[in-house]
Amino acid sequence: MYDTLLFLHVLAAFALAIAVVTYTAVAVGAYPGSPAVRVADVCWDVGGLGTLILGIWLALHLDGYEVWDGWILGAIVLWAIATETGRRAKLDLGGPEATGATAMHWLRTLAVLGLLVLMVWKPGA
Amino acid sequence: MTTLAAIRPDDWNLPLFLHVLSAMVLVGTLVMVTGSVAAAGEGSAARLRVAFRGLLLAALPAWIVMRVTAQWLASEENLDEDSPGWVDLGFTTSESTLLLIIAATVCAGIAARRAGRGEAPGAGLSRAVAVLLGLAVLAYLVAIWAMTTKPS
Repeated sequence: MYDTLLFLHVLAAFALAIAVVTYTAVAVGAYPGSPAVRVADVCWDVGGLGTLILGIWLALHLDGYEVWDGWILGAIVLWAIATETGRRAKLDLGGPEATGATAMHWLRTLAVLGLLVLMVWKPGA
Repeated sequence: MTTLAAIRPDDWNLPLFLHVLSAMVLVGTLVMVTGSVAAAGEGSAARLRVAFRGLLLAALPAWIVMRVTAQWLASEENLDEDSPGWVDLGFTTSESTLLLIIAATVCAGIAARRAGRGEAPGAGLSRAVAVLLGLAVLAYLVAIWAMTTKPS
């Protein structure tokens, strides 16, 4: 059970990475085409839901962790920031607020990096 | 048992972070480039350039960091001499996919160059890039499964 949950949780995190990498290409002016961006958007939605649901499931499943542990609460806050900034980046991309979309994308990227740091170091665990 | 599975020494955190981060950049780039090459079927030289540069400037450096940190982790965990099956699978996957990525980079480079000169880039080259990278992504799916479940 633990192995399957962890595999799917990590897979969901990789889906988030696909979205971040694709939007990074857009942000630096290397537009990869609409099919690639559509794939990135689907990956962002699936990865976002997957990381949250499977992450909480893992925390409930593992004896050593609780959902209210500081690093897990921090991860949920970062997840929420990444989700909102990712939504704004997607909405504004290609529109008149493209500069704002780029800023939102970089904020989202920082939030995802922060999530990875928390998942690896697990401060306080 | 589930508690033990989640514990590891702090010394492993930095190489693990760099390993996972570089693997994410690598897989993310490969998926993006595959989508970009599919879009390049419409005949865009710009998208072929994005595919080529993505492979050259993101995928290959990410592969190097992933492979070096994999060796670093194996050394930290004393798995580099008598390595279990899941470690061998990881190394085999990374080394075989490097060949696929290099071949895809060459194909994308030739297609981008042709398209940049106004010649037909050749649908075969774009298809070759998509197939090579699709195979690499499938191999990495297996590697991610092996790295997380550690079957041996």
